[in-house]
Amino acid sequence: MAQLNEIHNEFIRQEIEENIERPNERQRLIDNFAKSRPSMQAIAAALIEGEHATVDQLTRAALDEGIEALEVMDDGLIAGMAVVGIKFRENIIFVPEVLACARAMKAGMTHIEPILSASGIDPLGKVVMGTVKGDLHDIGKNLCIMMLRGAGFEVIDLGVDTSPDRFIDAVEEHRATLLGMSALLTTTMPNMGKTIEAFIDADLRDQVKIMVGGAPVTQDFADDMGADGYGKDALACVTLAKHLLAVK
Amino acid sequence: MAQRIDPEAFKARLERISELFAGMVSHADEQAKHRCPYKNRRDQCTAQFGCRNQSPPLQPAGLRLCAAQDGELDYRSAWETLGPEKTAALREKLRR
Repeated sequence: MAQLNEIHNEFIRQEIEENIERPNERQRLIDNFAKSRPSMQAIAAALIEGEHATVDQLTRAALDEGIEALEVMDDGLIAGMAVVGIKFRENIIFVPEVLACARAMKAGMTHIEPILSASGIDPLGKVVMGTVKGDLHDIGKNLCIMMLRGAGFEVIDLGVDTSPDRFIDAVEEHRATLLGMSALLTTTMPNMGKTIEAFIDADLRDQVKIMVGGAPVTQDFADDMGADGYGKDALACVTLAKHLLAVK
Repeated sequence: MAQRIDPEAFKARLERISELFAGMVSHADEQAKHRCPYKNRRDQCTAQFGCRNQSPPLQPAGLRLCAAQDGELDYRSAWETLGPEKTAALREKLRR
């Protein structure tokens, strides 16, 4: 059993001391961080703080030094995210902070992607995601994107207030096979149907599967619009994406 | 020599990440029943849209504050800019 003072990084020591109360979780984190390199602890610390630029820089530097990508994932990115998960569960941080940490993780993973590609590991699929025209609510979409990326999908995030033309352009440009649309307001929900119609008009509907979601959206509404699938939440989104792209 | 990653080893990492994220998403769903998901740990609003619960920021260039009390307000109705009657009418129209 390692001791807290065996962890090199002061920020990580403080995080464990102040925020991790369950003895088994605390000891597991101490054991893991105590045996990891200081540079991996620094990546984890930056991720916990949601500092995506620092994670980006430190991950690049670690890989350039010859540290194995799996070690960067295990001891840096995943180790940091494990602390984030506990802090979120304990209501020390909230959804906006979690999403900042997920963004930081993505910044690190971006440097690992070329190694995956060189190893013959392809993404499960390419997904374009956006909130429909007129709608600026993005938390649900962002949680879906976090889950999809975590599951191994490549996601192109178009953000909020996305016009049908932007969806079409992105699908064509990135050759995406799946499109995800989100709407939170009843007033913007019909824009999902308009986007699907735009894909039909552009003669692209057969080239892309379309999934929809958002608080006011229902399976019936999705069916009426002609969507290929409806996901009630971010967990369902991954299952649906795998189903629509026939990923095993 | 260029690095390589064993696909099975990578798959195991993805499963670990998915497990972590799934826990977070489940907690986010539960938490959203009593706290606006756009409200950060400093009780600032991170939304890009207007909401009746927003109040001016403490710093000129800072984020607006969230005046909603956790568990007391139906924050989603504060996002509907049409007002309750028009929103209900639109919902009915969409239902039909």
